Amino acid sequence: MKDKEAYSNAVKCLPNPGLGLGLRSKHFNYIIEHEPAVDWFEVISENFMDSGGRPRHVLRQVAEKYPVVMHGVSLSIGSTDPLNLEYLSKLKMLAAEVKPLWISDHLCWTGVNSLNTHDLLPVVLNEESLKHICSRINQVQDFLERPVVFENPSTYLTFKQSTIAEWDFLRYMTEETGCGLLLDVNNVYVSGFNNDFDPVHYINQLPHDSIVQMHIAGHQHCGDYIIDTHDRKVVNDVWKLFTLAWQLTGSVATLLEWDSNIPEFEEYHAELLKAKQFMSSIGSGEYITEHGEQFEAAVSNPVDFLVNNVLIN
Amino acid sequence: MGGDDFSLVELQNWMQGMLVKYVPVTNSRGGEAVTVEDLVNSSKRLNAIRHLDIYRHSYIARLRACMQNQFSALTYALGADLFEAFADQFLDTYPSESYTLNTLGEKFATFLEETRPDKELNEKETWPDFMIELAGFEYALSVIFDEPAEEHRPIATEETPDGNLRLAPVFHLFKHQYPVCKYYLDFSQQQEPELPFPEESYCVVTRRNYKLGLFTIRAAQYYFLLRMQQGKSVELAKQDLISGFKFKADDVDAIWPQWKKNFITSGFFDAV
Ligand SMILES: [Fe+2]
Repeated sequence: MKDKEAYSNAVKCLPNPGLGLGLRSKHFNYIIEHEPAVDWFEVISENFMDSGGRPRHVLRQVAEKYPVVMHGVSLSIGSTDPLNLEYLSKLKMLAAEVKPLWISDHLCWTGVNSLNTHDLLPVVLNEESLKHICSRINQVQDFLERPVVFENPSTYLTFKQSTIAEWDFLRYMTEETGCGLLLDVNNVYVSGFNNDFDPVHYINQLPHDSIVQMHIAGHQHCGDYIIDTHDRKVVNDVWKLFTLAWQLTGSVATLLEWDSNIPEFEEYHAELLKAKQFMSSIGSGEYITEHGEQFEAAVSNPVDFLVNNVLIN
Repeated sequence: MGGDDFSLVELQNWMQGMLVKYVPVTNSRGGEAVTVEDLVNSSKRLNAIRHLDIYRHSYIARLRACMQNQFSALTYALGADLFEAFADQFLDTYPSESYTLNTLGEKFATFLEETRPDKELNEKETWPDFMIELAGFEYALSVIFDEPAEEHRPIATEETPDGNLRLAPVFHLFKHQYPVCKYYLDFSQQQEPELPFPEESYCVVTRRNYKLGLFTIRAAQYYFLLRMQQGKSVELAKQDLISGFKFKADDVDAIWPQWKKNFITSGFFDAV
């Protein structure tokens, strides 16, 4: 087993590639043809690890021209099932091919008894689960021979058995394993609204030197709760949290997530570049105010973009 | 109060049961049922049940959307409501066991066969047969789209000698009781096809430059290409046509140049 210090030091040496976008099949042709000036791309590992067709072919070309980060949704670090070694092997093989700057996943579990709900389910935050999760992070990092970066997911409930605040839980994870953190400021906002905590306090309490990346995204306000839909522009309050986190972390790689109602590439890129206006608190950014209450059906973590759209001639 | 001493394993089993099963499982501890309120906090705006319901609703809605994506022609053929009912039942029966969503619909055609509404009746309806074939075909397309293949050999031209013709690296033959391929093509060209009548049909699916090519073919062409897929040369495949289909040798020789031209234009052949 490698020393957690080694992982922790490796995390601290990770570069800041700048402002990145998610690589989505809708934009494959545009990216290959135009080679847009995006700093880096984040790819969903599961979309490419089994691909022998177009997705893998496109990824190879993208990885030749841009820095790439691998972001996963199926590691299920919090699950009480054994780790899926087949999955981890494929992840490692993909990483050997793509050479990502880092590999990330979520602080969550996706299922037990070999089932996969394909959701990022909330973990119980207590001593027992912290021990369980840290020992699994150690195993994963040793298997992949690199530190792994964990994201705070959007949560829609908290458990009675939880005794540790999420920000503390994340900090203990970094201290115990040397892992890195991916701070999703939109998820902090969403979880904070849903579970009555102050997002500013949450961000202030995190171990900022372990944060290697941020996510920003749009969400849907449903009145008495918020769903993390990744289907629209980033709202005012989330940009404010971004400004705060940008300053506390001393600037880290930042990515705009957009997974449903995905706009044309230029529009997606333009929304990302707004981040530049929010990097200082004096901010010249144009704020969007939340559209009050919207009661259309909303789905958290939309995943249908993860299914290949077959292209026929 | 039954949640305090729930272990991590029990808690995850409980929550997953609440999401995955249409009728949630009830847990009990020492005779007392465990309620949502025992395990989940309520907040300023929502009670515990509404908190959990966000996950419950999203679970099925999210996977339903994936199924519709993977089976878009079938969704059109069945109509959105009926498709949704089948998809929900399917997800209840065969919840995902994979880290990838690409295989979510793998057992869907089997499921439709197992649950066809006329299963018990002697007199079978015909439309379920079509739906089952269409489901199987759509799933197969998604697999072929992403299958690994070495696409390096040059594509054959009309000048390529017969002896040097080889099938394309991604090449699949299908035989259906319904004109499934034609229906799928019409659907993808937004022609709003009607439910077809039974009619034996044959098609080829290839992949060139990472795009699929779908071609309807005739029965004799299907058997000819099937022989080639089994490793036979053009010459031997032609002879099988003569012995198996009672074709006259002269007729086969007469029609071959036209077939060859069409097959090559359609990208069925590489040259060695
Ligand atoms: Fe995120």
